[in-house]
Amino acid sequence: MNTESEKIYDPKTQSSLKNALASVQLTIFLMSLTALTVLIGAWCPQDSANGKEKVVEQFGADTAKLLTQFGITDIYHSPFFLSLIAMLTVNMIACSFLRVFPRIKLLQKPLPFLSGRDIGKLPVNTSVALRGNDQSALTALAVKLSGRGFKVATNGDKLLAEYGKFGRLAATVTHIGLLTLLVGVTITSWTGFSGFQPVLLSSHLDFSQSEHSKLWVGKLPKWTVRVDATHREDHPTGEPKQWFSKLTVLDPQGKELKSQEISVNNPLSYDGVDIYQSSWGLDHIILNFNGKEERLDLRPMGKLYAAFLPLDQNTVMLFSVRADGTIKIFAKRPDWEGPRQLAELTRDKPAKLGPVTISLVKVVPVTGLQYKCDPGLPITYIAFGFIIVGVLMAAIPHRHVWVCLETAAPQGVCAGNENKSQEEIPLASKVLYFGGRSVKAKVGFERLIKTLESQIASEFGLPDQKSEKNEQSAGEIHGKVNSSQNRKEHMLAGSAAGANAKDAGGDS
Amino acid sequence: MSDMQMALTNTAGITSVMSFWVFVASNGFKNRKELLVKIGSWALTLAFAALTAAIITRGIDAQRFPLANLYESLLWFAWATMGAYLVLAKAYGVRQLGWLASLTALLMFLYGSWLPQSQHDIQPLVPALVSYWRWIHVPPLIVSYALFFLGGLSGFIQLYQAGRIASLYTAIATVSLAILAVVLGTFTSVETAWLQILFAGASLIGMVISFRLLQRVDKNRGDLKLAETYDDVSYRCIAIGMPALTFGIITGGLWANHAWGTYWSWDPKESMALVTWLSYAAYIHLRVHRECSSEKLALVSIVGLLLTLMTYLGFNSLGLGGLHSYGNFK
Ligand code: HEM
Repeated sequence: MNTESEKIYDPKTQSSLKNALASVQLTIFLMSLTALTVLIGAWCPQDSANGKEKVVEQFGADTAKLLTQFGITDIYHSPFFLSLIAMLTVNMIACSFLRVFPRIKLLQKPLPFLSGRDIGKLPVNTSVALRGNDQSALTALAVKLSGRGFKVATNGDKLLAEYGKFGRLAATVTHIGLLTLLVGVTITSWTGFSGFQPVLLSSHLDFSQSEHSKLWVGKLPKWTVRVDATHREDHPTGEPKQWFSKLTVLDPQGKELKSQEISVNNPLSYDGVDIYQSSWGLDHIILNFNGKEERLDLRPMGKLYAAFLPLDQNTVMLFSVRADGTIKIFAKRPDWEGPRQLAELTRDKPAKLGPVTISLVKVVPVTGLQYKCDPGLPITYIAFGFIIVGVLMAAIPHRHVWVCLETAAPQGVCAGNENKSQEEIPLASKVLYFGGRSVKAKVGFERLIKTLESQIASEFGLPDQKSEKNEQSAGEIHGKVNSSQNRKEHMLAGSAAGANAKDAGGDS
Repeated sequence: MSDMQMALTNTAGITSVMSFWVFVASNGFKNRKELLVKIGSWALTLAFAALTAAIITRGIDAQRFPLANLYESLLWFAWATMGAYLVLAKAYGVRQLGWLASLTALLMFLYGSWLPQSQHDIQPLVPALVSYWRWIHVPPLIVSYALFFLGGLSGFIQLYQAGRIASLYTAIATVSLAILAVVLGTFTSVETAWLQILFAGASLIGMVISFRLLQRVDKNRGDLKLAETYDDVSYRCIAIGMPALTFGIITGGLWANHAWGTYWSWDPKESMALVTWLSYAAYIHLRVHRECSSEKLALVSIVGLLLTLMTYLGFNSLGLGGLHSYGNFK
């Protein structure tokens, strides 16, 4: 059986290298291998996401070592995976240019109108003997077909209708999308960078610690970002609601270039770099003990933050920072039942603990900033669009219907209902032959033809035919629509059931 | 859960059980077949309507789009399975698929109802899920999974109608073992490593044997014309499931980029969806190139069903979490 792609691309006339590169078997093999590799990557925790510890925890040290050795813990950066993608790319480019894109031309080639005899050879075909002699049945059929979305062309007593021609560009559109995606991803991986940095209030974010790929040829920005202010907003329950940071972009000389307050889902963009608010916390407090400043690191404790100051072997002082900025001071000893509150401290009210005066100098927050530069992103997004549209188009069935109005042939062998004996069709009357093909939705197409057949038969057909048509059950198709493949068999069996349209389509 | 919602969900569950048995019975009573099939379809339509109402009620009760945890996603899955079947039945007149579709919906109801109460209760969303992207990203995925399930199930019927009985039984056993692994992983504390081996081992060995057994044809069984119909149905399911999956994966990427600045992070669930996507891309290429018999394609669609099961339920229940572990409740 000859598909159109084979008509365009004839393997026999091509070199064996070209054949190998443009082979769809190779595509399927590579796709399956890629799927398997990704499956393994999904199963085994990856270094980049979880660090090595997760693998050791899950499989034990020995197995983890083995997995690392074989590159399975970083499979998406392994030479094996990258060369697999490279081979898929070469295969896709070869296929696209040799097999897929040339089809666009083919779409413009007009199809011929068919005679009743040829219609009889189509995968799905039928005929209706008409009552009258005029063309009204043909016209009615044309109207019905265009009502169902077919593009109809007529030529005298012949008609050709096509549905979903546009869908035939599916492969082209999808593959252009995939190639574009590769371009976008490659640009990003060669010139993009990303990273995360916790930045204290009044400190600067720079890009010196950013991550990028091995083949990187990009440039890091010279400008830096200063955190001017940062705070959090809470729900009444104490859960964090939103985090804010006011950022200022500074050039190397310290000139202010841009200022903006960011929050989660509301990043700052400057010079192709996006800076996201991704976490927030309190880092440390600075307290003044009788004139001596002391820095105490804070740790998150549930919804609050606390700093610990050991006084002696057994006693620990605990500074708990509330959301409103007040600090409660506790002491804790093993022989006490719980911590005891000693004093409360606010920005303008120092606390006196015996001989010691403690005052709050400042609470220093830290804002977690995520940044990225993704120069390929617009191209990637365009690619996404193409891919979505392409696969959608692939779901559109492509259908052809040919119709021909002819004077009934004496033997009635040209087409259609073989089980209809000759006498049923008066010689002088006309017969409407119609049939067609659809590869992607054969059964639906057979039902369509069947429906049209019974409609035409009841409106324009000979009376005896009409009753016969109406007997057909609307259930699963065992109907009278014929398949050219099994026609001889059916003539012998006297039945019009069964079809093997699998190979009959002639196009995809 | 409000009483209204409970009543509607139960109605959907009970009518889908009914429809399953009526469809099964229709195969037993040859002379009442038409009538029974009609009743079965009506019951399924009723179940579908009740479930639609149940999901809407849940959304109103929760004051949010009702697709945020595993239980809700199972309701959606059952809904999509029934809906897709009803459309297919109308377009193709495929009746045999009816009992498999109601069986699938029913299993999803059962699975859902066995989940702990915390899953049934309406709970506030974790911050990561508070986004309009949730209802752009998730429903197409669930719909695609449901369509891929129906595609695989049509593959089963196709094998039967093509007389590939030995291959069919092996494939059924394979899928059953995979489902067993998922169920054990969800409801028991069996070591997940064993379940992973059960799932992967059964799938691999079972499908290899099924492919081998394809040569054995029992000429007295089935109906080739129907085999062809189901071949077509299977292809339609996949051809429509594929854009839905593509849309779901890509919008997931857009969401991720919007939320934390990267559209792909090789998260396990993400990767698994890509595996499924690649395998159906392979199916489509096998299909348009026609180097493959339609029975082989049926088996490929069953491999796809296994991968879909893995992506949808397997990953959380077999202990391979990742970012999307909101489906995990243990
Ligand atoms: C990576 C290497 C790939 C190669 C070499 C390749 C090759 C081909 C070829 C030769 C065709 C047949 C064209 C025709 O006869 O109409 C085709 C069709 C198609 N391909 Fe690919 N392909 C590749 C990847 C993909 C991927 C990853 C997808 C994603 C879904 C895809 C989607 C499609 C679609 C939708 C069609 C049209 C199918 C139809 O007409 O129903 N391709 N491809």
